[in-house]
Amino acid sequence: MPQLNPEFFVSQLFWLVVTFSFLLIFLWRISLPRIGNVLKKRERKINEDLAAAKELQLEAEKIQESIENQLKQARSDASELIKNSSTALQDKVQVELTKIDKELDIKINQSSEQIEKSKNESLSKIQDQINEITKLTLSKISSFDVSEDEIKSAIKSSERSIN
Amino acid sequence: MAAKDSPLKQFEIIPYSKTEVGNYDISFTNSSLSMVITVVVITLFLTLTVNPRSLVPTRMQLISELMYNFIAQLLSDTVGDNGKKYFPFVFSIFMFVLIGNMVGMVPYQFTFTSHIIVTFALASVVFIGVTILGFVNHGIKFFTFFYIPGVPFYMHPLLIPIEVISYLSRPISLSVRLFANMLAGHTLLKVFAGFVVAMPFFTGALPLVFIVALTGLEILIAFLQAYVFAILTCLYINDAYHLH
Repeated sequence: MPQLNPEFFVSQLFWLVVTFSFLLIFLWRISLPRIGNVLKKRERKINEDLAAAKELQLEAEKIQESIENQLKQARSDASELIKNSSTALQDKVQVELTKIDKELDIKINQSSEQIEKSKNESLSKIQDQINEITKLTLSKISSFDVSEDEIKSAIKSSERSIN
Repeated sequence: MAAKDSPLKQFEIIPYSKTEVGNYDISFTNSSLSMVITVVVITLFLTLTVNPRSLVPTRMQLISELMYNFIAQLLSDTVGDNGKKYFPFVFSIFMFVLIGNMVGMVPYQFTFTSHIIVTFALASVVFIGVTILGFVNHGIKFFTFFYIPGVPFYMHPLLIPIEVISYLSRPISLSVRLFANMLAGHTLLKVFAGFVVAMPFFTGALPLVFIVALTGLEILIAFLQAYVFAILTCLYINDAYHLH
């Protein structure tokens, strides 16, 4: 069996030491740190990305919350505004209506007074005319000279009998 | 059977040049060539496939990263955090044995792991290193490693020698396991290859089928033995930290 032949033991041991030492030092100093760094870098990158994603999600949630708050605020503002303006309008209408009512009342009163006055005026005018007409008629159909006071009392008595 | 047709002929060492330093023969041989090829393959592969700036690995880089993670995981599972500083050593042992075995599977290539002197030297490095580590960590208390607690006192005269012998036989079992596996596998392949030639007519195809199947098995064993070598190294390192 060639394995038990000591002729090349020293040579094999020598070359084993040379090659294995070279391999050990090369891997230890160059290859393994390179691979380790790549793996570490990738892990760090993944962790960073995950952290960034989490942060962004939190931010998005915050933004959504603020949007919802703003919407709620806007809705309540709008309904408040509508309520306020409608009550203000109603108040205004009420005020206008009462003002118009007052004005109308005043006008109605004034007109009815006017009417009363003109009625009285015309009535008194009619009385005078009746007196005039009666006097004229009397002077035409008779020669009585009747005083105006007598005519007036006569007419008044006749009016009383008519009424 | 003539010597040149022997299935063991493949294990013969052929010097390419005669080099002597003092009285020692350190000729460059086919065994040395295999070691050099192994080291070149490992260093080139692990260096060229890895792009330090890449965030997403290529397929080849993924292989390097898988190897790295495989041994790192093995070491952290068996030894824990203490094991991190031995990672380059365990990784080198694993890759050296694995690629050495694989280079041996290439036809006409020499398998240096089939030589007991090589595997014994590797195992001795592990054994001596772990023993020194044990004494550094525990001092004289390292000897309590051979004392098994919780055993009746009259058993100790029997158990302590057994423990000492089993500890001292570690480098032998570690080296012989790898050496014997590679020796047996390659010899078996050669024997079947001899049958292919020797069998009459087309019956030689039958052992050829066996050779194909055995080659697959040998590749599995090549990986398995490298794994066993690495995991036992890890376990021995662990023993040097935690006595029983």
